[in-house]
Amino acid sequence: MAKELVKMKDIVKTYGKVEALKGVDFNVSGEEIVGLVGDNGAGKSTLIEILSGAQRPTSGKIWFEGEEVKFNNTKDGINAGIETVYQDAALVGQLSVARNLFLGREPLNQDSFLPSLDEDYMNKQAVRLLQQVGLTSIDPTAKVNNLSGGQRQSIAIARGIFFEAKLIILDEPTNNLGVEESRNVLDFVSEMKEQGHSSVFITHNIRHIYKVADRIVVLRDGEKVGDLTKEDTTMEEIEEMVTGLEVVG
Amino acid sequence: MKNKVIEIFAAHRELGPLLLLIILGAVFYSLSPAFLSVLNITNMIEFIPEIGIIALGMTLLLTGGEFDLSVGALFGFTPVLMFILKNEGFMGIEMAFFVVIAIAALIGFTNGILVTKIGISSFLVTIGMQLVVRGTGLYISEGFPQSSWQAETPLKSALAYSIDFPGSYFKIIVSLFWFIGLAALAYYVLNKTRFGNWIKATGGNEKAARARGINTDSVKIILFMTTAVLAGFAGIIDAFRIGSAYPVSGTGYELEVIAMTVIGGTSLFGGRGTVIGTILGVLLLRTIRNGIVVVGVPGLAYNIFVGLAILSMMGIHAYLEKQSGGVS
Repeated sequence: MAKELVKMKDIVKTYGKVEALKGVDFNVSGEEIVGLVGDNGAGKSTLIEILSGAQRPTSGKIWFEGEEVKFNNTKDGINAGIETVYQDAALVGQLSVARNLFLGREPLNQDSFLPSLDEDYMNKQAVRLLQQVGLTSIDPTAKVNNLSGGQRQSIAIARGIFFEAKLIILDEPTNNLGVEESRNVLDFVSEMKEQGHSSVFITHNIRHIYKVADRIVVLRDGEKVGDLTKEDTTMEEIEEMVTGLEVVG
Repeated sequence: MKNKVIEIFAAHRELGPLLLLIILGAVFYSLSPAFLSVLNITNMIEFIPEIGIIALGMTLLLTGGEFDLSVGALFGFTPVLMFILKNEGFMGIEMAFFVVIAIAALIGFTNGILVTKIGISSFLVTIGMQLVVRGTGLYISEGFPQSSWQAETPLKSALAYSIDFPGSYFKIIVSLFWFIGLAALAYYVLNKTRFGNWIKATGGNEKAARARGINTDSVKIILFMTTAVLAGFAGIIDAFRIGSAYPVSGTGYELEVIAMTVIGGTSLFGGRGTVIGTILGVLLLRTIRNGIVVVGVPGLAYNIFVGLAILSMMGIHAYLEKQSGGVS
């Protein structure tokens, strides 16, 4: 097993009187795909928002590549090498593929009279990225609104790889996708691992996660109720953990 | 062929208002050649910079996903306060100018903080601010117009100097150059800079922008401040041009400016904005206002035509949106 990439210890998050996370430990190793499953309100989103820097924990500690980190915002997380792809907010629909690729770190053309965005460079790199994900027919200047859900997810994930993210967090990446598109995204997540990137894959769909994950972590009511390598478990067992009920049948 | 045309119009939202502007211009001219007379054109371009400068700020703000209903009140309040500070002997006019611009920025900052950090909708925040600002202007002026002394100061010349052409009715107010310069700047910022990309991302999909490390709250606060400063600046130009500051001037401008911006092709819901479209929207509504008077329609009917122009352009934009498969 490769060395530890993320270590979260005893993470607590409260909103007023509501305890969203009640002391959760969560680890990710290098080149590992971790499935994070749980029902609505189990605390999955809160946990990854804390990991990405979008929220701060009420208490608990986080180490990234062996060093303790305190992210104040997503920028800190990105700088450390953590990319997050939200299901409904992977890309900005009104911007082009190229503009989305470089959103937040746009290259500037210093040769022009006034410093302005280097559109040539952005478009060329976007073509490269589109080739990587096998979407060669798409124009890098095309607005993302005109792409399908699966194409958007693939581009958003590829963006993380493009910027050499060490950890890519995927929030329900196969939600609202058709069968064929889901398969493409899942293949892509597996490929990503072969290229040395770790990922956390959040989903309701246990079948999807079971296909690609090395390890599966189950949250229920803000607590970790399962942490199993895939070989040691079955889909039925995970389902029982998610619901807290025994599956009859 | 039909699809190709729709595609072109969908990709270049400015073409719709441009076409409407040309058609209306032709109609007004054919009904009354006086429409394109030197005097009438002079009349039209005299006022365009002032409302146009407010519309530039609104374009950026709308693209960022918010709007501001307090711009009309700021247009009236800022010069009133400036003249009071000068006339009551608190400070010179130049100093007063910088003080009231700073106050406008502070008002915009307050709008931005209330919207982003407290989480109140911009509709409620800026309608409340509109009442506060308008009310303050009326209170400190006791409802009376504030006259400026007639002397030509460098500041007045820089903002509202009238360039006359001997032997002709034609004249240009230097505010036109301010408008052109600010429009070029707004175009550059929105389309060529990082900040412009962040504005579109913030208005288009705030969560996605945040996930990329963009501080969307700061983007919005800066836009609220820009909008407020431009509205105050436009009000000062207006007051210098006519020689007085009226505490009620700018009433209703907020909706007219939003109409101009949206007619031009900027989305009311953020993410898509066009400075060129806004300039066309400003020209279009001014042309309608001016044209219907020139061709003899009673001025009171103005709003009917503005309303029809808004409805028809909105219909066209919505149709283009559907046809091109976009969802913004």
